[in-house]
Amino acid sequence: MKKIFTKLVVTGGLIALSATAALAHSPLCSCFDNGDGTVLCEGGFSDGSSASGVKMYVRDDSGAVVLKGAMNENSEFEFNKPAGHYTVTFDAGEGHSIEIDGSDIVE
Amino acid sequence: MKMKVVFLNLLLAVAMAVPASAHFQMVYTPEIAKNKGGETEVKLVFTHPYEAGHTMGMGMPEEFFMLHQKGEEGKTKKYDLKKLLKPITWTSLTNSGEAYEATLPKKICRSMGDYTLVLVPAPYYEGEEDIYIQQITKTYMNVGGLPGNWSAPAGLKTEWLPLVKPYAMWTGMTFKAQLLSGGKPVANADVEVEYMNHEPDMKKNAFKKEAKSEAPQDAFVTMGVKTDAQGYVTFTVPKAGWWGFCALGSGPDKEFKGKELSQDAVIWIKAVDM
Ligand SMILES: [Cu+2]
Repeated sequence: MKKIFTKLVVTGGLIALSATAALAHSPLCSCFDNGDGTVLCEGGFSDGSSASGVKMYVRDDSGAVVLKGAMNENSEFEFNKPAGHYTVTFDAGEGHSIEIDGSDIVE
Repeated sequence: MKMKVVFLNLLLAVAMAVPASAHFQMVYTPEIAKNKGGETEVKLVFTHPYEAGHTMGMGMPEEFFMLHQKGEEGKTKKYDLKKLLKPITWTSLTNSGEAYEATLPKKICRSMGDYTLVLVPAPYYEGEEDIYIQQITKTYMNVGGLPGNWSAPAGLKTEWLPLVKPYAMWTGMTFKAQLLSGGKPVANADVEVEYMNHEPDMKKNAFKKEAKSEAPQDAFVTMGVKTDAQGYVTFTVPKAGWWGFCALGSGPDKEFKGKELSQDAVIWIKAVDM
């Protein structure tokens, strides 16, 4: 994502190319239960670009956002595991978001 | 005098008739393109993979480590795996030999990204040729489809630098890699290519008896390829399964314990059917 932004700033001519690249890559996210009450999610894109800055949401059973954050510079997001059923959303924009069910997040 | 020449010729003929299969250092784990990370079993075997032939006793490797990277901009993490090695006996179709195994804990294999398993074995003394052989070997794994450092050199004395993801090959795809020695391309090097024709049995520490293909002639057991002027090799993979590439004597070290050393670079790729 960072890479694309740089390209946009540097040359206008590359905008079209970069935009295509942004659509062509697919978002990737996987989460682990650390076993100590915390959950670690890591993200990225299929072209190898960083997920740093990608918005992360944790929602409860009713769909309400209980936690909000972003992927750090290592494309990681760590949070305290909420009680009960939850979902994690990796939100890199339209067509680039992934939802992970808390019950699939295991040690 | 004449008798002696005839005798020598006979000896040579016999030596040549020995199956043309080549030595290949294996660093084997069944799945290298995983959706989810987790505990990973690895077997280190020095053998003749096409024929599941003679397995050579390895001795404790000099180095065995893993490089992991998440994303192209990520940092490369190095994990020493040598302390995880346990000796095993590997059974080929003709003998059994000293090999090693390791169980890589989930903790270091659960993340997405690329993993490169690197083995620097101890030089092996080959009595028949009175030389030492040291095959520096790389096998790749990926978790979750997130690329990392698969196209970066591991900084080995000699190694293959893939230009195609070694863990994402469909059958029929063309693999391309560059041979490096001391970080520089090696032109016109002899490369042996072999298919792992007998599937390894992880539980029995043995090759399965059944063969996947039959070679019409010896030259098909170990195929010969040469690197081009820039050190590149391309190879179209005709069948699903594991393919090994071994560059003979490409490394900078030419001598060990006063004898000739063949320091080779080996890389393994795996193709799957569509
Ligand atoms: Cu041999």
